[in-house]
Amino acid sequence: MKLDYTHSELMAVAGARELQDRQIVAVGLGLPVVASFLAKQTHAPNMTILFELGVIDPQPVDCGVGLADPRVWYRANVFSSFVDILGAVLHRGRVDVGFLGGLEVDQFGNLNTTLLGDPQGKFRHMIGSGGANDIASCAQRTIIIMRHEERKLKQAISFITSPGYIRGGDSRAQTGLRGGPGRVITDKAIFGFHPESKQMMLVSIHPGNTLEDVLGTMGFAPLVPLQVPFTEPPDGEQLRLIREVIDPQRMYMG
Amino acid sequence: MSKLSTLSEAVASIPSGSHLALSGFAITRCVMAFARELIRQGIHGLTVSQCVGAMDADLLVGAGAVERIIYGGGSLDRFGRLACVNRGIETGTLIADEYSSLSVTFRYLAGSLGLPFMPIRSLRGSDLMAQLRERSSSDLASVVDPFSGEQWPVLKPLLPDVAVVQVQVADAEGNAWIQGPRWDNTEQVRASQRAIVIAERVVSNEVIRQNPERTVIPGLFVSHVVELPYGAHPTSVYQAYDYDAGQIEAYVEATRTPQALQAYLDRTVYSVSDHWEYLERMGGLKRLSGLQADPIRGY
Repeated sequence: MKLDYTHSELMAVAGARELQDRQIVAVGLGLPVVASFLAKQTHAPNMTILFELGVIDPQPVDCGVGLADPRVWYRANVFSSFVDILGAVLHRGRVDVGFLGGLEVDQFGNLNTTLLGDPQGKFRHMIGSGGANDIASCAQRTIIIMRHEERKLKQAISFITSPGYIRGGDSRAQTGLRGGPGRVITDKAIFGFHPESKQMMLVSIHPGNTLEDVLGTMGFAPLVPLQVPFTEPPDGEQLRLIREVIDPQRMYMG
Repeated sequence: MSKLSTLSEAVASIPSGSHLALSGFAITRCVMAFARELIRQGIHGLTVSQCVGAMDADLLVGAGAVERIIYGGGSLDRFGRLACVNRGIETGTLIADEYSSLSVTFRYLAGSLGLPFMPIRSLRGSDLMAQLRERSSSDLASVVDPFSGEQWPVLKPLLPDVAVVQVQVADAEGNAWIQGPRWDNTEQVRASQRAIVIAERVVSNEVIRQNPERTVIPGLFVSHVVELPYGAHPTSVYQAYDYDAGQIEAYVEATRTPQALQAYLDRTVYSVSDHWEYLERMGGLKRLSGLQADPIRGY
């Protein structure tokens, strides 16, 4: 089936649809930036975008190589600090949605960005937490965006950098954490979490994929409802904004 | 009182084995010239800390100057990972206390306020906490909130010997302005015994007194002020200059093998006598003026 959009574009649009007007959103670079700016330029003009290092509501005109790139700080309302953003906004409980990416995720939405392999034996150290653990611990809701591959969607992950629902059930609430993952958006499907068991649960399948495509490329079996709809594709205006306004150099959309 | 010093004097004030808080974040406002001079002077056995690991810490680790890193993870953004830090962790030659950004910030904040400990919501249920408990249990504990009865993780204050901070503007007393976001820098300065300020430009005290609300580092915390244009090169300084992408790529390439890293250190550190010769070797004024920031965009 020939699609007139890319997987990355569909993922960014799906991410944008999870955001509502007036929400406060903590964002890392890459697809989440595109999703957030897209939401802000369409249905959520009063949303507030936060970068952990101390930037509130930037309006960049150039793409950057990361949060450390002054290109993505351009025209911000506020330049402050970790204490301000991760402390007074996030830790205080004011962040509605946090976007997270990762190397590995398990069925309870626990994320690994720290290492691959055996932490007690041979492993490769990667990036670590940055603000991800803080966002996963303190935001009201997190949205996980990652590639749909068996080595990424795993039964057992090498390291829990950022907690999801930990061991499922009420184990997250018992550690004193609020919130938790609301959605996992991959390039094949969108998942939610079962209200009680907190197991990952299929919400929709992206057009062009079958249920077998989705389940056959995962390291664990998610819950599958009897009826699974297709994910709504991006509309023309969303694609235009992504391609012409938000990421014309295709730095984030790969 | 003037605290103006040469880079070499400021670096010589640091005994081997010190704990340094470094101001870099990934590839911006890293204390690169300072790190290069530290390596030239053979200072070693350091503990370095920062909320997000950056190029300054990675270079020091690569040169073998660091024994322990206390950080919240990090990278060189799209340019790559912190290859030297990662290799040190993988081979066990570097002790790493790995936190999240906010937990390191809270450790500095507790230190800056003279508090005995700082409760935090983060880290619960994660392997970061499990690993910290295993490796450095004395820096992490838990208490019962006396008001609610809830159990809280608590962090020990972080009290570095010296904060080394790259800023845009300072006066001779060390009153300093940081333009752009400040991440953990103001807490690092206040938690440390003293601070060394590396300024792109030193201005008269009159300039500071015209806009004192911009002074985020009061001179009273500062022991040395070093005026050093392009002191963060090849990383960026907001409103001063952009990162030098070619030179960061050259570093990333060099960190792939210990041999290539040694050649890189020979070329950029050991065989150059000082910062000025380094800048000449990087292309001099011609190359550097091409990196100058646009005053509206800041990069």
